[in-house]
Amino acid sequence: MKEKKKNRDVLRHFKSVRSALFAAISVMVLCAVVIVVAISLRFTRTSVFDNAVVYTRTIVRQTNQNIDSYIDYMDNIVTMVSGSRDTQSFLYDKDEETLQVSECRQRLVEQFRTILKSRSDIRNIGLIQKDGNRLFNNGGQQKNAYLDLDTQAWYKNAITSNRSVLTSSHVQHVIRGERPWVITVSRGVRNFTGSGNREGVVFIDLNYSAISELCDQNSIGSKGYVFLLDQDGNVVYHPQQQQLYNELQTENIDLVMNTDKETLMDGSGDNAKIYTISRSEKTGWTVVGCTNVAELLKDSKKARSIYVLVAAILVIAALVLSNLISRNITRPLQQLRDSMARVQEGDFGAAEVEVTSRNEVGSLTRSFNVMTSRIQELMKQNIYEQQQKRKSELKALQSQINPHFLYNTLDSIIWMAEGKKNEEVVVMTASLARLLRQSISNEEEQVPIGQEVEYARSYLTIQKMRYKDKLEFQIQVDAQIMGVPIIKLVLQPLIENAIYHGLKYKEGKGLLIVRGYREGENAVIQIKDNGAGMDEQTLSHIFEKHKVNYRSNGVGVYNVQKRLQLYYGMDYGITYSSRQGEGTTASIVIPMNMIPMKQEADHEKI
Amino acid sequence: MKKYKKWIAMGVIGFLIFLGFFTGYILQRQKSSTPLSLIYIPKTEDGTSDFWSSLISGARMAASEYGAQLEVMAPKNEQDVKGQIRLLKKAIEQNPDGILFSTSSSSAANEDLKKAKEKGICITYIDSCTSEELQDLTVATDNVEAGRRLGEYARTIIGKDDKIAVISHVKGVSTAVEREQGFREGLGDYEKNIVEVVYCNSLFDRSYNLAKELMEKYPDLKMIAGMNEYSSVGAARAVKEAEAKDRIATVGIDSSQEAVQLMEQGVFKAFVVQKAFKMGYLGVKETILHLEGKKEEKNIDSGCELITPENMYNSEMEKLLFPFNTKKNT
Repeated sequence: MKEKKKNRDVLRHFKSVRSALFAAISVMVLCAVVIVVAISLRFTRTSVFDNAVVYTRTIVRQTNQNIDSYIDYMDNIVTMVSGSRDTQSFLYDKDEETLQVSECRQRLVEQFRTILKSRSDIRNIGLIQKDGNRLFNNGGQQKNAYLDLDTQAWYKNAITSNRSVLTSSHVQHVIRGERPWVITVSRGVRNFTGSGNREGVVFIDLNYSAISELCDQNSIGSKGYVFLLDQDGNVVYHPQQQQLYNELQTENIDLVMNTDKETLMDGSGDNAKIYTISRSEKTGWTVVGCTNVAELLKDSKKARSIYVLVAAILVIAALVLSNLISRNITRPLQQLRDSMARVQEGDFGAAEVEVTSRNEVGSLTRSFNVMTSRIQELMKQNIYEQQQKRKSELKALQSQINPHFLYNTLDSIIWMAEGKKNEEVVVMTASLARLLRQSISNEEEQVPIGQEVEYARSYLTIQKMRYKDKLEFQIQVDAQIMGVPIIKLVLQPLIENAIYHGLKYKEGKGLLIVRGYREGENAVIQIKDNGAGMDEQTLSHIFEKHKVNYRSNGVGVYNVQKRLQLYYGMDYGITYSSRQGEGTTASIVIPMNMIPMKQEADHEKI
Repeated sequence: MKKYKKWIAMGVIGFLIFLGFFTGYILQRQKSSTPLSLIYIPKTEDGTSDFWSSLISGARMAASEYGAQLEVMAPKNEQDVKGQIRLLKKAIEQNPDGILFSTSSSSAANEDLKKAKEKGICITYIDSCTSEELQDLTVATDNVEAGRRLGEYARTIIGKDDKIAVISHVKGVSTAVEREQGFREGLGDYEKNIVEVVYCNSLFDRSYNLAKELMEKYPDLKMIAGMNEYSSVGAARAVKEAEAKDRIATVGIDSSQEAVQLMEQGVFKAFVVQKAFKMGYLGVKETILHLEGKKEEKNIDSGCELITPENMYNSEMEKLLFPFNTKKNT
């Protein structure tokens, strides 16, 4: 449990889930591969050894059996020859007619010839006794006259034993003119006609063709071999017998002869050998299989390098796979993260994340999608509501024609009509009509500056007629800005303000100039009067709400300023400059090109 | 993520490098070198000498076991010094990796051997040496030791005033000199009993005749010692013919099938056998190891053994006396 906790902590150090996953999978696979390879390497080494030992053991036992049956066969021949009547009479019938002896000899020669013909592995077959008749092979060969038979083990042992005697590798000196290395099977023949003792011997000399075939038929690897020892530890057969006899090759025969184990190791390093031993009850001989350890190791080394290769490939495949898997698992997470980051920045445009899986991440993504779409909806709704609110606010702020102004104008018209001033009545009524139409009929929020200027002109015309000698006006607006849209009823309240607060208190005739021009990206409309002006204190309080003058049109400068800023932003609106006794200038600044609504909405929120 | 990509890339590159080295290593191991070429020039290969045929068969076996090519160039007989030099010149022309040489004379081959050394051919002396040390290595019987063992045994079978004649093979040849020296050392104070040393030039007939002459010259001769196969067997033939085997003890160095028979017949009282097969085998083996730079030893003693009628049928002695070649050739 502690381990797990620690592990979790380790994984926390990674900066991304993907690298953590990648590292975790890689480490796990790596460990698994390393463990499997280590185990299989060990197993291979032991199994290579075990297999070799089992295999060699089988071969050695098989060889031992084969040699037993081979020697058995030779024993049978020797026994057969020694028991035959012909042998008896050939060896021991001394006083009988020589004719019979020679007949026996003839039959024995025939028999020997047959045996020699059929068995190429028999070097010599013969009958021998110290004195008297002897027979070698086809009868043509002579005994080595100088050899003392008692010095020859195969003869001496056969005479004293009532069984067949097996003599391991030795030089056969008995036949004159040749001294071959042979293995001899010999058997004493009792002289039943004479003493009853064994006086003669039947022997078979075996050359190595059959034994070597038996020992070499099964190869133990390319460097392994089988050799044969007799009961005294002398070498009967060895594939490198000549080298062994000349001390050019050694076998640890003492070790082999003095062990009860079936398998043992000798030497170390590259020269190490494994001896596998099988002893024969029948012959007393020992078959020894010799396995070259270096060769076995070469096999296991080969296997080892293949394992390492496979392991390396597996590790690489695991790295690639874990990379893919971790990428697949974490891709939706990363998409989700990226999308969240975008949403955080306020970009809902690509907030929708594709759901690719049904797992936890999938449901998380779905929830996220639902959440973002809800937020988006809510925000849209919010914006809409804000807009509606602003619209209604604007509407509310939009000034209506001051009823007092209407009464006064109508009163003026009445007075003019009473005074029969027809022409003036027409002009004033037309102006009033235009003014009313403009303020009532137009549903649009904005109108071109030109239209607003015309509205101001109508208003000024009426006012000029009412205050005949007190008001003069000029309108100078560049054609360039005539088409620029502006919110309705901006000029008129300011003009009204200028008249009632500026020019009204001026002695003598006042002048009001409306100028319009472009200034960079903005359109500027100035309303300049040469009236009473304002002191600093009045100027600083000019935009305050409580300054609403109910006598005038009831909205005042505050409302206009508020509307302009609501609509165009805080960078725009009215600025006043004034000097006591010299006049006041109001400047309306609006953009030439309307900026988007959204920004305005934000500003409004702030 | 970039960091990990780098790691992975490094891992893959490392793995590829490892693979490259690995395959290179395996290929290098599998690359088989061209077999070494060796030429052996014995004193003779006339078929009458068991010593030389045994030696050559040992050399051949070692060559086949160690995967070298061995060519044997043999003069007709041992005293054919000119023939041997001719063969040596021919061998040098072939420019083999190594020449194994059993010189028939003490100095005749020196010039040619120097030339061979200049060509970078490894020179191995087998059995006998020249007067100058031109060889890279020597594989031979310790001839002094062989002579000494014979002398020590000879001392035990003769009386203190019994006359001894020595038949040696070639005057001045290293083996003859050393064996005689050893024989004298072995005899100890009996050395004074040596009445004469004669040379048969490695010819059976000449040795036979010399032995006869000696027997006539010294009627009370008790021992004839032959210093090689030709001299001792030749002498033994003469002794046998003279039916003097009980009167004159024949001893010698080197054996043959005939020598064994003569021992069975009681003519030879003792001989020292060299391990000819082992000498030939070691000669080739050591030369190959020397050429491969695996061995530093310069003088290799192939050993010798004293054979008497008492031990001649011992399994250990049989192994030396009778070449084990019944088996199919490997």
